[in-house]
Amino acid sequence: MPGWRVVVDFDLCESNAICAGLAPEVFEVRDDDFLYLLEEQPPDALREQVQDAVRQCPKQAISIEES
Amino acid sequence: MTDSTTTPYYDPYDFDIDADPYPVWRRLRNEAPLYYNEKYDFYALTRFEDVERVSLEWQTYISGKGSVLELIKSGLVMPPGNILFEDPPSHDLHRGLLARVFTPRRMAAIEPQVREFCARSLDPLVGSGGFDFVRDIGAQMPMRTIGMLLGIPEDHQEAIRDQIDEGMRLADGAMPDRDQSYSVTMGSGFEEYIDWRVDHPSDDLMTELINAELEEPDGTRRKLTREEVLSYVGLIAAAGNETTTRLIGWTGKVLAENPEQRAEIVADPGLVPNAIEELLRYEAPSPIQARYVTRDVEHYGTTVPEGSVMCVITASANRDERRFDDPDRFDIHRKIDHHLTFGFGIHFCLGAALARLEGRVALDEVLKRFPTWEVDWDNAERAHTTTVRGWESLPVFTR
Repeated sequence: MPGWRVVVDFDLCESNAICAGLAPEVFEVRDDDFLYLLEEQPPDALREQVQDAVRQCPKQAISIEES
Repeated sequence: MTDSTTTPYYDPYDFDIDADPYPVWRRLRNEAPLYYNEKYDFYALTRFEDVERVSLEWQTYISGKGSVLELIKSGLVMPPGNILFEDPPSHDLHRGLLARVFTPRRMAAIEPQVREFCARSLDPLVGSGGFDFVRDIGAQMPMRTIGMLLGIPEDHQEAIRDQIDEGMRLADGAMPDRDQSYSVTMGSGFEEYIDWRVDHPSDDLMTELINAELEEPDGTRRKLTREEVLSYVGLIAAAGNETTTRLIGWTGKVLAENPEQRAEIVADPGLVPNAIEELLRYEAPSPIQARYVTRDVEHYGTTVPEGSVMCVITASANRDERRFDDPDRFDIHRKIDHHLTFGFGIHFCLGAALARLEGRVALDEVLKRFPTWEVDWDNAERAHTTTVRGWESLPVFTR
């Protein structure tokens, strides 16, 4: 079955936390103010939310890689 | 009322057009999605998709020669350290120092102080019959907030803000001449504090910048020069004052025109954040950005030659009917995927979280004291500066 994974460019990320609002199961900005990727290969049910995060990230730091 | 037999004309220096540019921008989106202005020799893109793409393609549309039309045209060499006028890799190195200073989390921590600044401005006005959205709050609270973050003594904040505003003012119908002082004035007024702070470190941004270490492209680390600290501080002060001041002015104007929606927010303050988001979309305080084109590019069958200036009209993109339903309707309930008011990509507004916080708190605190108002149009006055669109004065009657 073809899979997909979430890739974050942490050099670009500035913790705007838009992604954490859209897909909290996948992205979390913790107390240290850095973004943590909770699920690199989330279930397909979360794909739409992750796509929203990819599109809305103001720094365009998130992408989806198909495998 | 548009005349479809003529070609649309857009001129960023014409005050009459600036008063309501939306009809012209709509015509540009529909009739001339790649627009060329002969008088000032620039191209412009107005559709959401194009503006977003140009914002992301920083290799082709660079900021290193300035991001304001007349600044690029002046041919001035931009001083290092002003991230608005830089490209990678230096942009990323310089931006990196500030990248985590204005995050939503860090800005949430200063909300109580921002509320206090609003209260100080608004409380004395209760019962006075009116106030000015710009002069009494829009030009006060952001100045105090950014002054607090930088560590500027309160009694000097106004003089510094006025100096910055003056430096960016426009005269009607002409492209201003910009000499080298333009880029330098952004930092002026701060020299004495920087020198003083070197000897008197405190818990503020200026001290942080004085002590910050910059990593050079070759990996070596060094402290910022005095000129660089000055450049950062000037940029933060200018960007942090001017734009949010205009957002608060627009808040007063647009909600006065939409009293039913204002009443809804009064009844449910939970609507404030989305109302601010819609205000940002509807009236972008900084509506137009400029880039220098580094190679021949094609848009809508026309070649834009290397060396051209490309303007991207973010405020038009926010009203693009291809992207937003009924875009000229103000709707506090609108579900906004994202707007381009803060730009997009590497130059995305560093202060976006601060601006959102200030806009939200200002509206909240105004509504608590003044649930209704009407604009005193006889005395309202527009601001005309090179980078923002909005109100210099927006007095209102409250009852």
